[in-house]
Amino acid sequence: MKPLHIFLLIIAAIGIGSVISMYGSTTQYVSFQEAIEIQKDNPGKKVHIFCKLDKAKPIEYDPQSNAEKLVFYAVDSLEMERKVVFNGTMPPQFKQIEKLVLEGHMTSDSVFFAEKVLTKCPSKYEESPNAEHPANIPIK
Amino acid sequence: MQSTVAETFNNEWLWLGNLGHIFTVIAFISVVLSTYFYWRNANQGASTDLKWGRSLFQIHSLAIVGIFVVLFSIIFFHRYEFHYAWKHSSNTLPIHFMISCFWEGQEGSFLLWLFWNAVIGLILQRVSKDWESSVLAVVGFAQIALSSMLIGFHIGDFKIGSSPFDLLREQRPDFLNIPILADYGVGNYLKVFKDGNGLNPLLQNYWMVIHPPTLFLGFATAIVPFAYSIAALWRKNERGWLTPALIWSLICVGILGLGIIMGGYWAYESLSFGGYWAWDPVENASLMPWLIMAAAAHMVLISRSTGRHLFTSHFLIQLAFWLVLYATFLTRSGILGDASVHSFTDLGLSGQLLLFLLAFIAISLIVTCEGKIRTVFIYTSLGLLVLPILLAYVLPDNMQSGFADVVKFIGIAAFFVYLILYLYILYYRTKGDFPDEQLNSREFWMFLGSMFLILSLVQVFAATSIPVFNKLFGFKTAVPGAESYNKIQLWLAMPIMLLMAVAHWFKFRETDSQVLWKSLRKISVIGIVTGVLGIWIFEISGFGFILFLILAILLITSNTLYIAERKGLEWKKWGGNLAHLGFGILLLGVLISSVNKKILSSSEQGIDIAPELDANGKVDEKGIKFNRSNQILYKKKPHNLIDYQATYLSEISGKGVDSINKYFTVAFVENNKQGLTTDSFVVHPKTQNNPKMGLLAEPSTKHFIHKDIFTHVNYESSMDKKEPFSNFKTDTVSFFKPFRTSSGKIVLTVDSIQRNIGSNGLEIKLVVKVKSLQDSGWLYPEFLISGDMSSFESKEAASDKLGVVCSISNLKILDPDPAKQNIQFIISTGEKTPVWDYIVLQVIEFPWINLVWLGTIIMVLGFVLSILNRIKQSKNIQLT
Repeated sequence: MKPLHIFLLIIAAIGIGSVISMYGSTTQYVSFQEAIEIQKDNPGKKVHIFCKLDKAKPIEYDPQSNAEKLVFYAVDSLEMERKVVFNGTMPPQFKQIEKLVLEGHMTSDSVFFAEKVLTKCPSKYEESPNAEHPANIPIK
Repeated sequence: MQSTVAETFNNEWLWLGNLGHIFTVIAFISVVLSTYFYWRNANQGASTDLKWGRSLFQIHSLAIVGIFVVLFSIIFFHRYEFHYAWKHSSNTLPIHFMISCFWEGQEGSFLLWLFWNAVIGLILQRVSKDWESSVLAVVGFAQIALSSMLIGFHIGDFKIGSSPFDLLREQRPDFLNIPILADYGVGNYLKVFKDGNGLNPLLQNYWMVIHPPTLFLGFATAIVPFAYSIAALWRKNERGWLTPALIWSLICVGILGLGIIMGGYWAYESLSFGGYWAWDPVENASLMPWLIMAAAAHMVLISRSTGRHLFTSHFLIQLAFWLVLYATFLTRSGILGDASVHSFTDLGLSGQLLLFLLAFIAISLIVTCEGKIRTVFIYTSLGLLVLPILLAYVLPDNMQSGFADVVKFIGIAAFFVYLILYLYILYYRTKGDFPDEQLNSREFWMFLGSMFLILSLVQVFAATSIPVFNKLFGFKTAVPGAESYNKIQLWLAMPIMLLMAVAHWFKFRETDSQVLWKSLRKISVIGIVTGVLGIWIFEISGFGFILFLILAILLITSNTLYIAERKGLEWKKWGGNLAHLGFGILLLGVLISSVNKKILSSSEQGIDIAPELDANGKVDEKGIKFNRSNQILYKKKPHNLIDYQATYLSEISGKGVDSINKYFTVAFVENNKQGLTTDSFVVHPKTQNNPKMGLLAEPSTKHFIHKDIFTHVNYESSMDKKEPFSNFKTDTVSFFKPFRTSSGKIVLTVDSIQRNIGSNGLEIKLVVKVKSLQDSGWLYPEFLISGDMSSFESKEAASDKLGVVCSISNLKILDPDPAKQNIQFIISTGEKTPVWDYIVLQVIEFPWINLVWLGTIIMVLGFVLSILNRIKQSKNIQLT
C-alpha cells in the first residue's frame, strides 16, 4: 500500500465520520404532539415546528419589563395550539406574520420554549403590494 | 367578477417590450446556430463553419446587450405596464439603484449571467486559438440553456422560461378589477398605476450594487475551465488545456472569493443578524463551487507541472461547474423554501433548472464515454427523461402516485450508476504510467490539501442539501444551525492551513531533504513562537481554538518567510504566497472575531422567564439558555454596558423620501478604573418604518483598527401601543396656584400666558409647569377665541413622558386689564403611567474583524499577481 492510499483512506474516514456526526445531531420538523412526546423521552432535545401565529390570542411583549421575552400562541399543521415563550426581542412586523418556524422544545405539555423563531411574511416582500397602492383596495 | 377585458389600453409602450422580446428571440436563435456551427467545426474542421459560429456568437452578444438596454429603459422611464418594472422599481429610485433592480428579479439575474458569459465568450474568441470551436461550443450550450430561461414561451400549463418583458396586466389580471379603475376606464389603467412596488430596501445599498455582479462573474468564469476540460476529452486527451484551465480557474477562485466576502461585508454592515457569515444555504451555495474550484486549480497546477493526477483535475474542474449549476438550482428553484432567511421567488422554472444541471452532467458523461457506452448512455438517459412523461399519459390516474415513486427511484439509481461509470471511464482514460509519488514532493502535499478541501465541501454539501433530500425521500430533517458547521469546519480547516504553510517549501517531484528540513525546522520554530505570542495578544483560549490560531499564524509567517527568502523583491512572483498569506489572515480574523465576540449589551437585569414556561411551576432548566443580549436605553439616561457607558441622546427623521428613516444618536463613553474618560464616540443606528416590510433596522458600526463596535436597534418605544389618558378631572384655577391631577401625583401650575391676536381671532397659549414624583417639565395648552367671540377652540397639550394631558375648557376674564392677570381658567387634566422614549439596543464587539477584510484584500491581490504571472508564462511557452 502506498502512503498516498493510506492518507486517502484516513481522509475518507474523516469525511464519513464528520457527515455521520452532523446528521446525528440534526433535528426534525415535528408537530406539537410529537414535540411533547420527544420531550418526555429526551428532555431538552431541540425540535423544529412549522406553525401559524394565532392572531386572535394576545401577543405579549413588554420590553420595559423584559426586552427578551415574547409570549404568543401558535397553531401547528394539525391544528393543535400551544403557548410559546420566545427568549428574544420581537421580530420585525411580528403581528403581520403568518408562518413561523419555531426552534426549541416543550417545557411542559402546554408551553413551548423557543430559542429561535424564524418568521416568514406572507410571501415576504415580493408579493405584498404597497399599502397605499390602488391595487390594494379590496375587490368588491 | 365583471368582465374587464378592454379593447385598447392607452399610453402603453408596447413597442419597447416587443423590441425586448425580439432581442431575446435573436439571442436564443443565434446562439443555437452558433453552437451548432462551432460544434460542427470542432468535429469536421470546415473553416466556413468557424466563421459562422464566430459571427453568430457576436450577434448573440449584441442581442444580450440589446435586452439589457431595453430592460434598463423600462425601469429608467418608469414603464409600469411592464410587470418587471412595477414589481422591482419605483419612481423615487435613484439611478445607481436601478441597476440593483436587475438582480432583485430572477430574470434579471439570468440576464446578468448571460451578459458575463457573452463577454467571456468574446474574450475566448480572441485568446483560445485552436481551442476556440470546442470551447465556445460548450459556452454556447450554456447560453442556450440560460437564454431559454428568458424566452417566456407558454404551451398550456407548460412554460419555458420567464420573460422580463411580461405585461403587468397579463401577470396580474386582478389589478384591472380594482374599483377605482371604473372612474378612469380600464383602458387607462396606467393613470392609476403611476408608481411601482419598489426595490427591496435591503438591496438599496452600495454593496448590493457591486456584490451580485462580482458573484455572478465568479459563477460565469467557472464555465471556462469546464469547457477546456470537456474540449480536451472531446479531442482525445490533449494536454494543452491545462494552462488556460489554470488561468481561468484562478480567475474564478479569485473573483468568486471576492464576491462571497463582499456579500459577507454587506450582511455585516447593513443586516441585523450581527455577523458576516451565517452558513445560510445561499452563502453555502456559492461557497461550494469555490471550495472545489480552489482544489481544482491546485490539481491542474500539479498536472501541468508533473503530468500526474489528470483524473482529479478533470473531475474537480467539472464538479466545480456542476456545483455552480447546483447552486443556481438550490437558490432559484424555491426548494430551500423555509430553510433560509433569504427570500426566493419561484417562477416555476425548477424543472428547467434541474434539466440545466442534468444536461451539463450529461455533457461530461457523453464526452468521457466513447463508442458503444456513449450510445447506450444517450438512449437510456433520454428514455429515463421521456418515460415519466409518456407513462403519465398512458397510466390510469389511480396508479400515478405509486408509479411516480418508482420512476423517481429508478432515476436516482440510474444517476448514481452513470456517475460511477463516468468516474471509472474518466479514470482509465486519463491515467498515466507514473512511478510512486515521493513523500518529499510538493505535488504529494498539494494533492492532500485538495482532498481536505473536498472534505470541507462534503460536509457543506451534505448539510445544505438536506432540503433536497427531504423533498426526494420525504424526510423531515431540519437544516442544521451554524454551530454544527463551525464544529466540523474548525477541524477541517486545520490540516488545510498546515499544508498551506509547508507545501511551498517542497519542490515538484523531489526536494533536497537537507534544505527542506532546515526550512521546515525554521518555520516551525518561528511559527510556533509567534503563535504562542498570538495566544497572549489575542487572548484565545480553548484547545481547538488555540491550535487553529497557531496554525493560522504558522501559515502567515511561513508564507511571509518564503517571500522574503525565495522571492525577494521580485513582487510579480509573489502571487501564490500572497494569496495563501491573505487566506491565513482572513482565517485568523474569522477565528478571533467570532471566538472573542463580546456582547456588550448583555446583562443580568433581564427578568428570568423560566416561571413563564410551566404553569405548574416545574421548570426544566436543561437546554434553556438566556441570550440576554439586548439592553433597554431610556432617552437621555446613561446606562452601563460592559466596558462602555451608553446614552440614547436623540433621534431624527429623514426628509422627503428619507422620511421613513429614523436615525438615533447613541453616545458611548469608555471610562478607565480611575473614572477618567478614555474614549468616546457616537453611533447612528437606523430604523425604517417600511410600508411593505414593517420595521427594518440598519445597524451602525464604529470601526477601530483592532475592533468594531456593532450597534443595532431591535425595538423602539414608538412601536408600543399608545395607552390612552384616563382619570380626567376639571379644575378652576388662577395664576401660580398649584393644582393636582386626580391621583394627586402630578402638580401643575399656570405660570404665564401668551396672547396673540391673529386673523382667526384671539389665540391664547398657557405655559403650565408640571411636576411629577420623578420628573418635571412644561406643557403649552392653547385656546382660540374667534373674532366675533361666537366660538372657541381648544388645543390640548400632552406629554407621554410626564404621563399627563391638559386642555383649557374655558376661561373667565375677571379683570379686563391684562396687566393684572386676573383670569380664571377651567382646565381639564388626564393622566396615565409615564412613558419614556426608549430603544432596545444590541451592542456587540468584534475584535480584530479588520483582519478578515485585510486578508481578503491581500488574497485578491495575490490572485491578481498569480494570474498575471501565469498569463505571462503561457505567452513565453507559446513563443518558444
